[in-house]
Amino acid sequence: MVLKNLNDLRHLVDGIPIRKLVLAAANDQHCLGAVYKAWKENIIDPILVGDEEEIHSICSSYNYDITGIRIINEPEAEKSVETAVKIISSKQADILMKGKIGSATLLRCVLNKEWGLRTGNLLSHFALFEVDTYQKVIAVTDVAMNIAPTLHEKIAIVNNSVACLNRLGYKMPKVAVLGAVEMVNENMKATLDAALLSKMNQRDQIRNCIIDGPLAFDNAVSLESAQLKGIKSEVAGDTDLLLMPDIEVGNVLYKSLVFFAKAKVASIILGAMVPIVLTSRSDSEQAKFDSILLAAAASKY
Amino acid sequence: MLALKNKRRVAVAWAQDNNTIGAINFAVNKGLIEAILIGKKSEIKKTCKAEGIDESNFILIEADNEKSASSEAVHLVKAGDADIVMKGLVETDMFLKAVMDKEKGLMLPGAVLSYVCALEIPAYPKLLFITDPAVIPFPDLDQKIAMAGYAIEMANRFGVDKPKIALISATEKMVRHFESTVDYSIMCKMADRNQIANCIMDGPLDIFIACDKKSAEIKGLDTPINGDADILLFPSLESSNPFYKGLMLFAGGELAGLIRGTEKPVIVMSRSESEKSKYFCIALSCLMA
Repeated sequence: MVLKNLNDLRHLVDGIPIRKLVLAAANDQHCLGAVYKAWKENIIDPILVGDEEEIHSICSSYNYDITGIRIINEPEAEKSVETAVKIISSKQADILMKGKIGSATLLRCVLNKEWGLRTGNLLSHFALFEVDTYQKVIAVTDVAMNIAPTLHEKIAIVNNSVACLNRLGYKMPKVAVLGAVEMVNENMKATLDAALLSKMNQRDQIRNCIIDGPLAFDNAVSLESAQLKGIKSEVAGDTDLLLMPDIEVGNVLYKSLVFFAKAKVASIILGAMVPIVLTSRSDSEQAKFDSILLAAAASKY
Repeated sequence: MLALKNKRRVAVAWAQDNNTIGAINFAVNKGLIEAILIGKKSEIKKTCKAEGIDESNFILIEADNEKSASSEAVHLVKAGDADIVMKGLVETDMFLKAVMDKEKGLMLPGAVLSYVCALEIPAYPKLLFITDPAVIPFPDLDQKIAMAGYAIEMANRFGVDKPKIALISATEKMVRHFESTVDYSIMCKMADRNQIANCIMDGPLDIFIACDKKSAEIKGLDTPINGDADILLFPSLESSNPFYKGLMLFAGGELAGLIRGTEKPVIVMSRSESEKSKYFCIALSCLMA
């Protein structure tokens, strides 16, 4: 199965029980807007943790009728995150979402050894783009969390993302390990790591996907480019997941797609007990909504 | 296979012992080569007499010691007066020093000096090329790439157009603390991308999977080598050297080997090799000349 656009995620969510989402530090207008919309469309069943008074005042000024939504009053932002995380670690909800609180604070709670959401896996960022110029959605990792992943970390990032894509219905997602060139170059570490990841995939050390790399961006997403270069690859031109060499390449690609290619994007954090919606303040309400949709579709329970 | 228009001329450094002269004489009598023996003429003549070999089979050049004999042999090849240089009773190190001399030697610019050999093993249906059991103790990635290139070139000369090259390790997995498996993974991708051409490459593989189809099936490993390797590239001299010697001792193997990375073929044989293997080495050098 292949997702043509982000809206296709709805078909995945339609067939499963409604997921419970906990919004930590919920007193944020954009987050509440996205959560409200997702609730109205039966994608999630929200729990709002935060300053109840402020939540109500935001909702009434934007005409969000939240009658029936559970609210836990915790005016102190950091405390509200702790409460939200504990709801998840006690298996009472399926998705965590960041509201009006810094990412660092939220992640610190997620990684708390006693009541956090650790699984032993590396946390990584997973973004799903809908771009008009590509035949299907394309996942990109890691554009926001891991700065300069080692080979070991790249393996973990691929495993996180592949497990997510598997849950989204991709049996054998095609993974392109991105480089500046498609050739192995000893002076470009990304191309060496790409060769190692390819071999580990061939030897079943990284499973449930087809990995090829290094691939330059053009060969990864354009069959014509790959053919011109004479690259024989199952992945080239038909990539489902792009693995970035580091955060700088990843972040610039992410923002180029959004600003220049007018891409729609949904993104979540993987590697914790549940998907985490950790959008930034600059993300549109649509991006927040799509991220909630992605989290619901990728959720395990 | 060897139908040469012209006989190759072999310059032999410090060719005074019966072992070397015997092998050379055999090749001369077969009509394969002309031989130039460099050493103490009186000693050479004495050996010929004792072995019942006709000294007029050879051109003799006087040299005082091993070192000057080595330089002279290399010089003859460099000057075009001979096609192949061969080590006689000289220490290998001293001989290779003359070969590797920056100005007067035979090294191709920037080339890696390495050794490839072809093994004939009764239990294997075809020749098996091995690298490097003699020169590079612990090849790094660049050296391994050069070794692969030499072995492919040799297999090509034997008529194997697209040899199957197995990169040998103890495991078929990519395990970071086995450095060779890291290098092998990189090389396979280079072969995918045609940066290493004219071969079918896979590794890491163990020798069972490389040379025995049944083992490949049992392991369920999907590999284009599939028990049908033409070339085995080893991670170290200490793994490849015992491999070929074991085969010669216990499995009736015969070998022909050659130094690569030089302008002209360089023959280095150990004294313990059989006369047949020595002849094969000379024949191989004629093929590669």
